[in-house]
Amino acid sequence: MKKLIVAATAMVLLAPGIASAKEMTFASWGGAYQDAIRKAWIQPFSKESGIKVEEDTGPETAKIKAMVETKSVTWDVVTAGGGGLMRGVRQGLFEKITPDMVNTDHVIPGARNDYGVASEIFSTLIGFSTKAFPAAGPQPRNFADFWDIAKFPGKRTLPDKPETVVEAALLADGVPMAEVYKTLSTEAGLKRALDKIRTLKPQVAVWWASGAQPVQALGSGEVVMALGWNGRFQAGIESKLPIAMAWEQQIPQVGFFMIPKGAPNKAEAVAFLNYIAKPENNARLSEFVAYGPTSEKALAAIPAARMENLPSTSERLKNALFLDIEWWADNGAKVTEAYTAMLKE
Amino acid sequence: MTAQAPAAALAGRSNPAGVGRGFPVWLGLAPFGLVLLVLFAVPVLSLLKLAFGESGFSLAQFERMAAVPVYRSVLLTTLGIAGLVTALAVIASYPLAYVMATVGPRARGLLMLLVLLPFWTSALVRTTAWIILLQGNGVVNTMLMGAGLTASPIAFVYNLSGVLIGMTHVLMPFVVLPLYAAFRNLELSTVQAAESLGAGPLTVFRRIILPLTAPGVVAGAMIVFMNAIGFYLTPALMGGPGQAMIAQMIASNINTELNWPFAAALATVLLVATVTMLVLFQRFFGLERLIDGGGGKVGQPFTVTSRGRSTGGWLAIVAAGLIGAFLIAPIVIVFPMSLGSSPFLAFPPESYSLVWYENFFSTSKWVTALTRSLQIAALVVTISVVLGTLAALGVSRMRPRWRNMVETIFILPMIVPVIILAVGLYYLLAPTGLVGSIWGVTLGHVVLATPYVFITVRAALKSFDDNLELAALGLGASWATMFRRVMLPAIAPGIAAGAIFAFITSFDDVIIALFLTNIRSRTLPKLMYEGVAHEIDPTIIAASCLIILVTVVVLGANLLVAKRKTS
Repeated sequence: MKKLIVAATAMVLLAPGIASAKEMTFASWGGAYQDAIRKAWIQPFSKESGIKVEEDTGPETAKIKAMVETKSVTWDVVTAGGGGLMRGVRQGLFEKITPDMVNTDHVIPGARNDYGVASEIFSTLIGFSTKAFPAAGPQPRNFADFWDIAKFPGKRTLPDKPETVVEAALLADGVPMAEVYKTLSTEAGLKRALDKIRTLKPQVAVWWASGAQPVQALGSGEVVMALGWNGRFQAGIESKLPIAMAWEQQIPQVGFFMIPKGAPNKAEAVAFLNYIAKPENNARLSEFVAYGPTSEKALAAIPAARMENLPSTSERLKNALFLDIEWWADNGAKVTEAYTAMLKE
Repeated sequence: MTAQAPAAALAGRSNPAGVGRGFPVWLGLAPFGLVLLVLFAVPVLSLLKLAFGESGFSLAQFERMAAVPVYRSVLLTTLGIAGLVTALAVIASYPLAYVMATVGPRARGLLMLLVLLPFWTSALVRTTAWIILLQGNGVVNTMLMGAGLTASPIAFVYNLSGVLIGMTHVLMPFVVLPLYAAFRNLELSTVQAAESLGAGPLTVFRRIILPLTAPGVVAGAMIVFMNAIGFYLTPALMGGPGQAMIAQMIASNINTELNWPFAAALATVLLVATVTMLVLFQRFFGLERLIDGGGGKVGQPFTVTSRGRSTGGWLAIVAAGLIGAFLIAPIVIVFPMSLGSSPFLAFPPESYSLVWYENFFSTSKWVTALTRSLQIAALVVTISVVLGTLAALGVSRMRPRWRNMVETIFILPMIVPVIILAVGLYYLLAPTGLVGSIWGVTLGHVVLATPYVFITVRAALKSFDDNLELAALGLGASWATMFRRVMLPAIAPGIAAGAIFAFITSFDDVIIALFLTNIRSRTLPKLMYEGVAHEIDPTIIAASCLIILVTVVVLGANLLVAKRKTS
């Protein structure tokens, strides 16, 4: 409240001077995700700081590149996954975010990046049909179970892109977490992962292209097990679809907020990033979507019932292999070619 | 082409009557030519040249493409699927177009509605509906298994058949409309003469109907083929990994990988392959010759002969019924789906509610985006109809030598992957401040839409009898009067088909809008597309249903009014 009064006073004092009511533009992917960001962060941030936040949608990396190169950047903060962040960084599209701009010491180490502030953590894991595998009997728990057709018969669905699938395949094949990317970096290791996926191919009914598909396929009974995103599975569960998640093994990914190079309101953008990075603020997004906070300090602020659905609890992080975005930026093209070729066989 | 040339080039034939009063070729070609140069050639080439090295000439991108077999196989798959879809669309269109041309006006209106409705639903909604119909425990398999026709579910989706079904469904109207126009131009007496000489239905079809409807079919088939090459949403959602298409790879290299040189190389190869196929097709089938056989209809239009329908005719009616059911199937199940209460779509829904409709009307963004889309589409239709019709008139008056080349150039925007144009246009328009305004996206859509008008009007002009023009001019009419009183009425169906296609091109586009609009100028498809990687917001299904309802009401009212006028 005190902050609010200060902010209000500041606004009153500033207002007559100029129309310099501070503002910035935030661009994200629309839909439920941006609705959640608006409620959790944008509205309270505007109230607290007096900075008006304009929203836009569709921050395609190609569009960011075009904006930066034509010097017509209209966005101050954009959002992306790790892949988008890294490819943008390689092409020099984002401002470097130094510790004196935004302090990220408290952020989970796997989620830190020099060019983006970690906004949330979501996870790729197993979702399964509770009709096919009810609580009374054995239920799949880890990636090895995903590949175990004898114990858990029925069709599966996997992403049509290799990210997270090759990692899951190696984990299922018994490679220890710490060795996964080292193994994948060798020809033999990549082949091992692809061979493992090949053995499952006859059981894969759908190679999904959009995050809604695995949930839809589980709900309709088209498949009994899916490798998909926890937030989507959770939405399915909340819509009363017969789905449960196996939390024993997961591949978390981080969502990032970045500042495009040449952003017109950089100071306001930095203020916004500071706001979302603060643990007590960061925790708030989890009220609206089933994404986890990026700092263990934020966990205390989240009710226990919600914690059960989030990927970044201290317990779950122990068995979590963070997607290595640097590795994918280096090897993505080659691995995608090999993966597509394997699928087309 | 100099300004003096047109008179002599008139219609490509010796044509002294037209000298001095003809329609100048340059007037036809210049406007669209200029638009293509500035808004298409410049932005697209500036991107495609990246394929040949960013600093200094290099073929490295092409070498990579050649070294990795995946790309060749995806290119071949793409051309194969596009070819199959074209063949299916043509085959399925014949019975439907025949029936449309031979039934009464009310039944015709109804059929027209059937053909156009798939256009009016967003691609996302359509594919979702198909998947719900066709999946393992979907509506169709449940029916087949219930009737004992199959013991285990048939795999309709997530394979080649899924892709063919989804793509043929939405691309078929592109053939039906020009083909219907061609059927309307058939002369009854020709068919009657053949029949009285003892020709059976098959012979009539092969010797009379097929050659005389060729211009319409060729126009439609070209549109389908080139459209099919650029598809990726439908194959990604309804196909399996074996059906990965090249447009998807180009888009992901542009947008996800940010590897523009490689995307440019893929697009260049696609462009060369498609243009080569077009040229070979034209050579091999001798299109010009085939088409010039048409024309000259003054008699009674083609309809059911006095002897009633032949066996072939009845078979065609049965086939048309099945095809009509195919066209309407996904749209019919969309309505109950839109009344479900769960955000995860099912048919039939477990519980009913109006929540998605409330959502549509209570959040201003949906209505705003719909209004914006309609505004933009109206602008696009107006501009592209003028440009496309002029271009078709110009081309039809050219010397045959250059005609093929100009024709190919004018349809290039259909072949170049839209994302290449979209990014190129961003670079071109960003300094002008048009990005984010409604004009930026309108200009982009005009480039995409005009070729459709060009193709359909060109087909209509091919079946237009030049003698009518000569007669009018010979009787002292000015060219403008002749055009207004003689030519325009004859080619009006072609222009109307082109206008519909232009409208749909604009109304359905996501990619241009993604790059050239912002939150204040976003279109309905862009809004529908938002967040789609994560979820499908059922509000888009409600939106589709509303659009379908409005279409049905407007066209239905139109039919009623038309009926009252005639009675």
